[in-house]
Amino acid sequence: MRFKKLFKLALNILLNSKLRSWLTIIGIVIGVAAIVAIVSLGQGATLNVQERLGGLGADLITITPGVEKAFGGFKGLGSGAMLAASSNPSISLKSKNLTDKDLQTVKSIEGISYVNGVVSGRVEVFYLAETSSISIQGVDAYAWKYLVNTELEAGRYLNPGDTNVIVVGSGVAKSTFKQPLALNRPVTIDGRLFKVVGILKESGGIGGEDNRIFIQIDQARYILGSAGQKTFDSISAKVSDPDSIDQIVSEIESRLLISRHVTSRNKDFTIISSKSTQEVIDSVLDTINIFLGAIAFVSLLVGAVGIANTMFTSVLEKTKEIGIMKAIGAKNYDIMMIFLLNSALVGFVGGILGIGLGYVISEMLPNLLNRLGPSVSVRTLIPTSLLVETLFLAIIIGVIAGAIPAYRASKLKPVDALRYE
Amino acid sequence: MAKHNIIKLENVWKVYKMGEVEVQALRGINLSIPQGEFVAITGSSGSGKSTMMNLVGCLDLPTKGTIYLDDKDISKLNESDLAQTRGKKIGFIFQQFHLIPTLSALENVMLPLEFQNMPSDVARKRASEILDLVGLGDRVNHLPSQLSGGQQQRVAIARSLANNPDVILADEPTGNLDSKTGADVMKLMQNLWDKEGKTIIVVTHDLKLADYAKRIVELKDGQVIKGG
Repeated sequence: MRFKKLFKLALNILLNSKLRSWLTIIGIVIGVAAIVAIVSLGQGATLNVQERLGGLGADLITITPGVEKAFGGFKGLGSGAMLAASSNPSISLKSKNLTDKDLQTVKSIEGISYVNGVVSGRVEVFYLAETSSISIQGVDAYAWKYLVNTELEAGRYLNPGDTNVIVVGSGVAKSTFKQPLALNRPVTIDGRLFKVVGILKESGGIGGEDNRIFIQIDQARYILGSAGQKTFDSISAKVSDPDSIDQIVSEIESRLLISRHVTSRNKDFTIISSKSTQEVIDSVLDTINIFLGAIAFVSLLVGAVGIANTMFTSVLEKTKEIGIMKAIGAKNYDIMMIFLLNSALVGFVGGILGIGLGYVISEMLPNLLNRLGPSVSVRTLIPTSLLVETLFLAIIIGVIAGAIPAYRASKLKPVDALRYE
Repeated sequence: MAKHNIIKLENVWKVYKMGEVEVQALRGINLSIPQGEFVAITGSSGSGKSTMMNLVGCLDLPTKGTIYLDDKDISKLNESDLAQTRGKKIGFIFQQFHLIPTLSALENVMLPLEFQNMPSDVARKRASEILDLVGLGDRVNHLPSQLSGGQQQRVAIARSLANNPDVILADEPTGNLDSKTGADVMKLMQNLWDKEGKTIIVVTHDLKLADYAKRIVELKDGQVIKGG
């Protein structure tokens, strides 16, 4: 029998058992809607992170000593550190600091435009009778402004030759103290008065700038008790051409291996590029997305069981009609196709409606969730490919769920089927 | 010229297994039906007449023996070939009409044509012609539930004729109809037999019905006892 006609007969079955068909379809609708909503949520999160990371610039490289600070400014992303550590399992976590010689080595590499040696630590900061322990970074004022992951919100960057001035991250300025830190306000660090000359815009927390204070490196060394030493806790560098970043990373690595007299086996430093950071975060997000998608998929599977159930009932109910159709010349193939198409149709209709519902939910979710508090920033993103794939998946699910009932129907013996009451 | 046998049964046995018990529904049937004959197969309930109809109608296979339909051995065909043969050569009329309840009269008659891959427009034309022939030209778009019993059986007759089959098999065609409607239906069949020259086999326990036929074959306990 022609496909068009088989399709018509399948549609006929669907339309003639409306209540049961709709109940079955609802099972698929819920599954599909869950997938669309959850995946769009994951995609939105990915986009969020990517945009914030985008502020990091694809042109930054950070070198840290040893492996324990694999992520330097990106602490808290444990998996990244683990990733770096796992490639160097035998290295002692206490490695010697980066030196001025290392800085010069990096500086001499072609394609690197700015290099900033950084010392960091935590200090007690006094402001208007309040005390807070804040992370401080001593930077090279000349290069640092080109390496900041964000922009100035007010004031200026540090200038070479500045003394007793600081630039603060937006978190430090806005939420660390009860009274916000404003430009030109004095704070006390290590018994010395410092003036706020610049406030940075929010960087999104990933670069680590938001909760830091920036200061001239010599003063930082003094405060942190390492005055006179020519070592750094990290070195950051900016490349002039972001496309060549991988090449430059390996160039830095080979030069540092030589200058630090180590081999790749006992390497005592870690190089992180914003690109590699992004890759790590992407893979973490991918894992989360797959996990959430899998949960949603389970509900689609339940829907599939619903289809199979309905199809078995339908085949049972239509046994006599199957017998009639066989008596008047229907082949096994015809019967099987009618029932397969019927369940594929259930999948299709459920898929279409589920996509619609999922779309509405994913439009509403950010509104609902963002009311939970200002720190929650949820957004959703629905790629067209998600809609197409989910619809396709729903149809496939329908076909698979209908396969066994349809096969059974096709194998019914006409005599038995006709006699069935 | 002697008419050629459209159906020929040679020592046909059909044995059902009901649990441990074997039921011999047909026991060595030999029967020939020439083309164009109007035959009634009678017998009491359990005589094996329905079983015989199923075998002749390619709905089932014999346990033993050979059945020729138009000189072709159908007793060893596979399911797909059987379906093909049924669709082309046999038209069924059932006691319960057996129309598809969700399809209109016209669609019901079109169905066997479409199972033979006939294009819809051709099938539609042919189906409405036959419905005209059985006097239902004005009821083509009615669902079976909107038709009387007699009308439904006429739709079923139209459906059985759709593919222009060699043999029409009718299983108690008037069993669900009142006597007047039943008589009308039988007259219609007789008419068709006169006009179209089809081989018609009516399976019935009703001897009045058998009177319409030109030949009566009586079965008892799975064997032909009269008219064989």
